Amino acid sequence: MNVVTCYKIVPEEQDIIVQKDRSLSFERAEWKIGQYDLNAIEAGMQVAEAAGGKVSALSIGDKNLENSKLKKAVLSRGPEDLYLVMDEQLGKADCSLTALTLKAAIEKIGNVDVVICGEGSSDLYAQQVGAQLGQLLGAATLNAVSKITPDGDKLIVERTLENDIEILQVPLPACISVTTDINLPRIAGMKEIMAAGKKPVTQWGMPEIGLQELPKSTEIISTLAPEQVERKQIILEGDSEEIVNQLFENILKEL
Amino acid sequence: MSKIKQVWVLAETTAALAQLCAGGRQLGEEVSAIIYGSKEEAEKAIQLGADKIYWLGEVKEESILEDYTETIAELLHKERPQLLLIQPSKRGKLISGRLAAVMGTSVLVDSSELIVADDNVQAKHMVYGGAAFRTEKVLTEITIATINMGVFGALPEDANRQGEIVAVDYVEPGVKIKVIEKKKKEGTEVNLTAAKRVVGIGRGIENEEDIKMIEELAGAMGAEVGCTRPIAEGVNWLPRERYIGVSGVMLKPDLYLALGISGQVQHMVGVDQAKVIVSVNKDKAAPIFKQSDYGLIGDIYKVLPLLIEKFKTQ
Repeated sequence: MNVVTCYKIVPEEQDIIVQKDRSLSFERAEWKIGQYDLNAIEAGMQVAEAAGGKVSALSIGDKNLENSKLKKAVLSRGPEDLYLVMDEQLGKADCSLTALTLKAAIEKIGNVDVVICGEGSSDLYAQQVGAQLGQLLGAATLNAVSKITPDGDKLIVERTLENDIEILQVPLPACISVTTDINLPRIAGMKEIMAAGKKPVTQWGMPEIGLQELPKSTEIISTLAPEQVERKQIILEGDSEEIVNQLFENILKEL
Repeated sequence: MSKIKQVWVLAETTAALAQLCAGGRQLGEEVSAIIYGSKEEAEKAIQLGADKIYWLGEVKEESILEDYTETIAELLHKERPQLLLIQPSKRGKLISGRLAAVMGTSVLVDSSELIVADDNVQAKHMVYGGAAFRTEKVLTEITIATINMGVFGALPEDANRQGEIVAVDYVEPGVKIKVIEKKKKEGTEVNLTAAKRVVGIGRGIENEEDIKMIEELAGAMGAEVGCTRPIAEGVNWLPRERYIGVSGVMLKPDLYLALGISGQVQHMVGVDQAKVIVSVNKDKAAPIFKQSDYGLIGDIYKVLPLLIEKFKTQ
């Protein structure tokens, strides 16, 4: 089974600075692989390890994708090769544009049986790209998948919903979004990191995957930090019975 | 506020259906509900505020709701509503994304606010792990949005309301996924969102056995136990349903007592609407103290037994 695992690079949340006008500054932000996408890469590796086949990683975005540390970070987790689609407009792509671009890239890679996405991106967390992508590919499309077992030319998946669990038999090609607890992503060792630098990386622009500039489906009006709820910030120090008693009295006042 | 001509709603549970119908009434002139299930359920949707029901019939044992995506897509193409509101369940997320792909648009997800301005629907939702809220609008003919529970309050059921029920022909799905088994999740259902008081734990808790003490305190306080992501998805000491934060549950309790939680934004966003936040942490510099009404800088292992005793004898 040939697998493509999709990932997104996102700004490190802790480096995002809220400015005086409540807008966000990303100037000092390091970029990283979306944390839920690490589960997707691991799930892809496990499918290929169980069923045989090749795992490729795929991402789209702007020039931040070129960061060699991030490329190594992805490849050191197991994929044999990496495909990147780079274009200025992809840095701020909405779900529709992201899915259309991934679809075109996957068709150009060719011969893909299973596409795996994370539950959502860790910056915008719309949880939509996997659903849209699967539909565009005409693949069997599922989200909330908490277990994948290859079974001949099909997959048996367990799907964990709010109150129910489904066991489903899924034909190929399939596009699966996995839960954040499907696995514990492996940590690459020095050997894997060294080897990652030698793995092939293919970089495409949008025309190379047959796409022109696409119309936007959404428009951002504003992105602002929430107004802070005023908190009393009455802070005690110490853990003697007397101090704990004061804390207890404070809690009681509010109940 | 101007109104949308036709609002459609799609929900999995009756509670969500009631809220979305109410939202539809508020935003639109005519509300249509897409209903799976019995005829009685279709009639109920009318009492909850829908004018027209597109009735898909009972879901067959060998099918999942998602098998109806093609049927719904065909309806959207034919009837061309301007707005479709969907419950943000896992199924709702999958169906909304697939429909958006068919309609060439993006979904306004997890909307915490939805307004109609200049004949456009604008929705607000959380981004960057809670660091900000984004307001967005859709530029395509149809707007598809998933709406958080509680954004719209349900209307009282009105048994006299009249509406039309249209039976819809099933369109075979393009790809057939075979159901092997459907079962209820094991374990007691946790409904943290309904809890008035919540005790949350983070990595300041050192051992799994210590959870017993936390449960004892929560029991004495009449509270539910929740946790940060590492506790549910790192060491797995508590089930995922108890995880509070961006990819977990979002709460609005009267009291949130945070034990050994540093106060990272991805967690805090799930509780920052709490009426009162109380925290105990041994690290003086923990960001949680700036977000607390009452805090104690100290060892939770000394504080816990004393607090349990106090609440028990209260």
